Amino acid sequence: MTTTALGLPTSGIDLFSDEVLADPYPYYRQLRDMGPLVELPQYGVVALARFAQVADALTDWETFSSADGVGLNDILNQAFQGTIIASDPPYHDQLRAVLAERLAPRSLRALRSEIAARADRHAEDLVARGSFDAVTDLARAVPVAIVLDLLGFPAEGRDQLLKWAEGFGNVNGPANERMRGSLPVVEELFGWLTTTCTRERMVPGGFATTIHEAAQRGDIPQEAVVPLMSSYALPAMDTTISAIASAVHLFAENPDQWDAVRADHTLIPGAFNEVLRMESPVQAFTRVTHRPYSAEGVSIPENVRVVVLYGAANRDERRYLDPDRFDVRRENVDHVAFGLGTHSCPGQGLTRLEAHAVLEALARRVDRWELVGEPRRRLTNITRSLDSLPVVVH
Amino acid sequence: MPVIRADRTKCEGYGNCVIAAPELVDVDHEGVVVVLQEQIPESALGRAENAVRSCPVSALRVDG
Repeated sequence: MTTTALGLPTSGIDLFSDEVLADPYPYYRQLRDMGPLVELPQYGVVALARFAQVADALTDWETFSSADGVGLNDILNQAFQGTIIASDPPYHDQLRAVLAERLAPRSLRALRSEIAARADRHAEDLVARGSFDAVTDLARAVPVAIVLDLLGFPAEGRDQLLKWAEGFGNVNGPANERMRGSLPVVEELFGWLTTTCTRERMVPGGFATTIHEAAQRGDIPQEAVVPLMSSYALPAMDTTISAIASAVHLFAENPDQWDAVRADHTLIPGAFNEVLRMESPVQAFTRVTHRPYSAEGVSIPENVRVVVLYGAANRDERRYLDPDRFDVRRENVDHVAFGLGTHSCPGQGLTRLEAHAVLEALARRVDRWELVGEPRRRLTNITRSLDSLPVVVH
Repeated sequence: MPVIRADRTKCEGYGNCVIAAPELVDVDHEGVVVVLQEQIPESALGRAENAVRSCPVSALRVDG
């Protein structure tokens, strides 16, 4: 352990290497044990791996600003300046207000029965087949259909959206090969949003129309329209898909937990929270300090980029007893998989609606999950994703 | 004794609070938070703080 100019413990753990991305949890534990603030010289950032520091960073935007970008590379951070995720209040609040009402769970209640019906039909089909891939046939199918309709994107180009969404897990990472390989995807997406997703071609009544209307009224600047569309479209895909696939994976590996959920469907919300805690779809974003911050006798000055490790915080033994145990009855509503504070995921109501409906439909029909063949993980810089999860249902 | 307070104008009906502290808050038929019990006993303080923290729109707070 050596120290640098910051006077912090340092670590050579490469969070974005294949090895660590495949199973980050032992490395997260090492980082947590080293202290509340650990420098990663390879990336020029300070890691926040403990729950307490992650919670501080997310709830104190004045100290931990998003306005200098939340990715790990300068290219992306510059390209995404002024987007909702890379803004601080008050501008951030102006952007967030555009879709807040439409995404409020209160407003989504009207969709509940339709989403439940869709999930149910889908589950029925899959269970009848008996064997399927929980990623390609289940996780990717349900959210995509729902979200695309809600967003109101034109049919032309929709099939690309998933591919573009997957690219975002990489472009937010450090400037490594994975990131560079996904950059073209960002250009394609923005091209599509700009040229195809114009006001007249959006399905009326969709979220994208709401965004266009807000700009027309002058609530947000015109330049904010395309970034805002992308900000809401992309996280709606990859992350939800990840969570649903992880749910099947965890339940297949913990049949006693699936039995508990089958016996009592009121456990479903807590169970989904537990899936998110254990396998947080977003594993890292960054912030830049605008004021000094200290914890347990160590400190960092302003102008330091920190990496907020959601997946590490969610398995912090300082917060969760026996954190690596998947326990649907655990008190876990405080997990940070949706973030916290001002940037906390505005789509979490919709995500829960979809995921609860899928789990409900499956809990009615599946006694037992059997994993067949190897689950295949997709290694991306900041998201936790499965590419394939072949199962047989009993 | 600490009390829990809810800003009903901010509430968007996420319901995270109900999962966190069902004895203290609920969400009504219109999807807006309702405080069932203002006074927070010692035993519920942790849950109350979880409820506050888990609200995406910061509609809850604990006073005192």
